[in-house]
Amino acid sequence: MTERRIGVYVCNCGTNIANVVDCDAVAEAAQSLPGVAVSRSYKYMCSNPGQEMIVQDIREEGLDRVVVAACSPRMHEPTFRRAAEMAGLNPYLVQMANIREQCSWVHDPGETATDKAKDLVRAAVYRAACHEPLERMAVEMCPDTLVIGGGIAGMSAALELADAGNRVYLVERTASLGGNVARVDLTAPYLDSARDMIVDRVTRVVEHPNVDVLLESELERLDGFVGNFKATLVRRSSGEAPPRQVVDVGSVVVCTGYKEFDAARVTHFGYGKLPDVITSFEFEQMLKQGRIELKDGRLPQYVAIVHCVGSRSEEFHGYCSRVCCMTALKYAHEVKSALPKAYVSDVYVDMHAFGKGCEDFYRRSAEVKTLFLMYGKGERPVVRRADPGDDCEMLLTVDEQLSGELIELPADLIILMVGMEPRDDAGQVAHLVNISQDKDGWFIESHPKLDPVATTTDGVYIAGACQSPKDIPDSVAQARAAAARILGKISRGKLEIDAMYAEVDEDLCSGCRVCNEICPYSAIEFDEEKRRSHVISALCKACGACVATCPSAAIKARHFTDAQIFAEITGVLA
Amino acid sequence: MAIRANPKLIEELEPYGAEDVMKCYHCGNCSAVCPFSADPYVFPRKPMRYLQMGLEDKLKGQLDPWLCYYCGECSDQCPREAEPGETMMSLRRWLTSKYDWTGISRLFYRSWRWELGAIVLVAILTAIGFTLFGMSQGSIAHYDGPDAFLPSASIHIFDWVLAGVLLTFLLSNAARMWWFTMGRDKDLPTTLGSYITSAWMLPAHFFTQVRYSKCEHKRSWATHLALMLSYVTMLVLIMFFLTRMASGPEIDWSVHVAGYFATAGLLLGTALFLRNRVKRSSAQYRHSHESDWIFLVLILIVATTGILQHILHRSGLDVAANVAYIVHLSLVVPMLALEVPFSKWSHLAYRPLAMYLAQVRATALARARSGEATALRPGAERTQAHAA
Repeated sequence: MTERRIGVYVCNCGTNIANVVDCDAVAEAAQSLPGVAVSRSYKYMCSNPGQEMIVQDIREEGLDRVVVAACSPRMHEPTFRRAAEMAGLNPYLVQMANIREQCSWVHDPGETATDKAKDLVRAAVYRAACHEPLERMAVEMCPDTLVIGGGIAGMSAALELADAGNRVYLVERTASLGGNVARVDLTAPYLDSARDMIVDRVTRVVEHPNVDVLLESELERLDGFVGNFKATLVRRSSGEAPPRQVVDVGSVVVCTGYKEFDAARVTHFGYGKLPDVITSFEFEQMLKQGRIELKDGRLPQYVAIVHCVGSRSEEFHGYCSRVCCMTALKYAHEVKSALPKAYVSDVYVDMHAFGKGCEDFYRRSAEVKTLFLMYGKGERPVVRRADPGDDCEMLLTVDEQLSGELIELPADLIILMVGMEPRDDAGQVAHLVNISQDKDGWFIESHPKLDPVATTTDGVYIAGACQSPKDIPDSVAQARAAAARILGKISRGKLEIDAMYAEVDEDLCSGCRVCNEICPYSAIEFDEEKRRSHVISALCKACGACVATCPSAAIKARHFTDAQIFAEITGVLA
Repeated sequence: MAIRANPKLIEELEPYGAEDVMKCYHCGNCSAVCPFSADPYVFPRKPMRYLQMGLEDKLKGQLDPWLCYYCGECSDQCPREAEPGETMMSLRRWLTSKYDWTGISRLFYRSWRWELGAIVLVAILTAIGFTLFGMSQGSIAHYDGPDAFLPSASIHIFDWVLAGVLLTFLLSNAARMWWFTMGRDKDLPTTLGSYITSAWMLPAHFFTQVRYSKCEHKRSWATHLALMLSYVTMLVLIMFFLTRMASGPEIDWSVHVAGYFATAGLLLGTALFLRNRVKRSSAQYRHSHESDWIFLVLILIVATTGILQHILHRSGLDVAANVAYIVHLSLVVPMLALEVPFSKWSHLAYRPLAMYLAQVRATALARARSGEATALRPGAERTQAHAA
C-alpha cells in the first residue's frame, strides 16, 4: 500500500455525539492510524466552518482521503463529497463513519461507547485507504416520452409534456380516450360534469401536434435505460397481423388506472339475482341516460346506497378505495334532485370525507335529508325481497352501529359502491416496464412520501389510480408531477449516472447467466455473440446481488470491492 | 328481530318542529354536555337516532324527551346545527299527541289554525253559556250577593265539573304514557315496591323542579318555577276558596294576598318568556312553535282579565266587572279544557310522571342486570339446578 495522507474529522454534532462519545479521544486515537495525516474534532462538521476546515486541509496538507466520523451517510455524505470536490478531491475518496445513529444515540455515555467509535473510525480509515477515484457517467436524455394509458392521468401527463414542446406517444389499449372518468356523469363534491372535463382533454390531446395517440395499442417490449429506452408498440386491430413500431423515448409514464370490483363476488347483496341491485357504474350509466328508474320502468321511492363493496374487508380488499364515499354522497344529491320525493339512505362503514370541499359536501348531503346508517367493518348487510304488502321492493338488514339496533331498511333501488382493483394486466405491465407491485397489486412508488411518482426503475414513473385508488384531482396532480420530473431531466439534457455500479470481467465470465435472473433491476444483459453477460450501468443500483451470486467471481461492484470490504472488516476488528 | 326503519316518520315529525334532526351525524357532543344524560337514558343522541331512522315504536316507549328541560346547551354545542334541544322539544309535542287517545292533540300540534279555532269556538260557547246562565240567575248589575249575575257557588261547582273532565282526559292519557313506556314491556322486572318507594318523586319534581335547577341556566329554572307555582297557587285559590275570593267589595287579605303574589308571578313569568321568545335570546327560545305562543299569550290574557274583573269589582263597577268576568271565564275554560289535556300544558303532568317512571324503570333495569334478577327467571333457575 502506498503511503496515504488521510484526514480524519470527528464531529461532535453539538452534544448529540459529544455527550456520549469522547470525540477528542477518538480524534487523538485516529492520529496514530496508518496513513492518517490530520485528525480533528469539531462541534459541527457539516457547518460551513466545518466544511471549510476539510477543504483547507485537503489543499494545504495535501490530503488524498477523507474520513468523516459523524452522522449517517444518508444524512451528510453528499455534503462532504461536495466539500472534497470543491477542494479538487474525487468525491468517492470520502468515507463516513456513523458514530451518531450507530453509536452515541444507541449507547450510554462512557468508555465503551468511545471505544466503539474508535473502532468505527478505524474501519473507515482502513477502507478509505483502498478507495479509488470514480467518475460519474453522463448519458443522453431523449426528450420523447411514452405514456401508457389514455385516462385522465395519462392525458394530463401527455399534455403537460407536449405543451413544453416534447413528443409524446400516448398508448391506449381501448378504442377511445377518457378511461374510467368517461364513464361518470358528475363529479364530487362540486357536481361538475365529468364529460366536459374529459371532452376538453381528449380534444386537446388528439389535436396536439406533439402527441401521437395510438388507440387499440399497447406496449409489447421496453428495452434500454433511463433517457434511452426503446419501446416496441403494437396495434391490436382485429384480424390482421399486428403492425409494430419501435420508438425511442427517454421516459415512461405508466397511467394504466384501475378496474372496478366485481360485485358478483359478494353474494349477500343479491347482485345479479335481484334486478334492482346495481353497481355504482351501472348507476352512472342510468344518470347519463337521464332517468333513474327500476328495471320495470317505475320510479324508485326508496334508494339505498351501500358503501365499501369489495373495499375495507378482510374477505376482498383491505384498502379504502377513496372515491366511493364522495361518489355515494353525489348520488344522494342526484337522486334527491331528480326524484325529490324519494328517500335516500346511505349505508356506510366510515365516512371518508378528506378532500377539499368534501366535509362540506357531507354536511349538505345530510341537509337534504339523507338517512345515514352505519354498519360495522366486517359486517354483512343482507338484501332480501320484501314481503307482499310492503311498500318497497327489497329489505336491507343492517346491524346499525350508531343505534345498536338490527335495522331493516326499505329499498326499491340498491346501489353498490364498488371499490377499485388493479387491472388484470397490471402484473404484465409491471413486468414490461420493470416496476414492482404491492400485496394488493398496485404499483409501488420510489418513496411513499418524498418520491411518490418515481419508481425503482429510473425513467419509469407512475401516476393515477394504477399506484393506488385515487380521485381525479390526485390523479391529475400525480400525472403533472411525473411530467415535471421528466421535464427537469429533459432540460438538463444529459443525465449523470452514479459511479457506483457493478462491472463484469469478461475474461472471468463463464456466461452461466445466473446474474441475469438474480438482478432485481434487469440491469444485466447477455451478449449472445460473446456468450458473456454485461451490466447496463445506467440501470444498475449497485445492490451487489450479482456480485455475491456470480460463481466465477467475475463481477465487481465499484466502491464495494472485496479489498475495500475486507479492509473495513480488518479495521473494525483490529 | 330486526326493526323496520321508516324514513317517512321524519316528515310526520316536521310539523312538531323537528326540522333539523337529519343534520345530526352522531358525534355525541349533545349527550356529553347534557347534565342529565346518563345510562340508561342517553339523550339527545339516542332519541335523535331513533327519529332519523323512523323507529316509531321505540320513540313512543321513550321517557328521555321528558327528562330534558331544554337548557339549550346541546344545541349550542352541536357542530351540525341539528338542534338537538329543539328535537327533544318536538318529540315531547309528538309524544303528547301519541299519548292522547282523542286525536285532538295531534290536530292542534299539526295545525295552529285548528288549535286557535278550537279555543275561539270554546270561548264563544262559554261566553254565550255563562251569559244565558247569568241572565237566568240574577242581574248583570250585581257581581255578588243574592242577586249575583254569576253566583260563586255555581261557578265553584262548574269548576269542579270542569276539573273532573280535564283530569279524566289527562289521567287517561297519562295511563297511556305509562303503558307505552312501562306497561307493555313484559321483560321489565318492575315491582310494586319500586313504584311505591319512588312515588315521592312525583310531588317533589312537580313542586320544586329540582332537576331543572341542575341545568346551567338557573334563571330559566327560577322563572319556570315561579310561573308554575303562581299557577298552582291560583288553582288552589279557585278550587278551594272561590267563594271567599269572589266576595267583596272589601279585600279578604287572607286569600287575596296569595292571589296578588300569584298574579304577579303569572304576569312576570309569561312576560319574561314572551320577551325571550321574541328576542330569541338563547338556544331554547330560538325556535317557537305556534303552540308555545298560544300557550303564553293565553295565560297572559287570562291573568289580565282576572285582574281587570277584580279591580272593577272592588271599584263597585259591577256591570263592567261582570262583563270582564264573562270574558275571563270564556278564556279560562278553553285554556284549561284544551291546553291542559291536549297541548303544551299537559307537560305539567307528563314531566314529573316521566321522572318518576324513569326512576322505577332504572331500578328495574338494574335488577335485571344483577344476578339476583337473573336467578328469578325460570330458565335461569333450571340452568343453575342443572349446573349444581
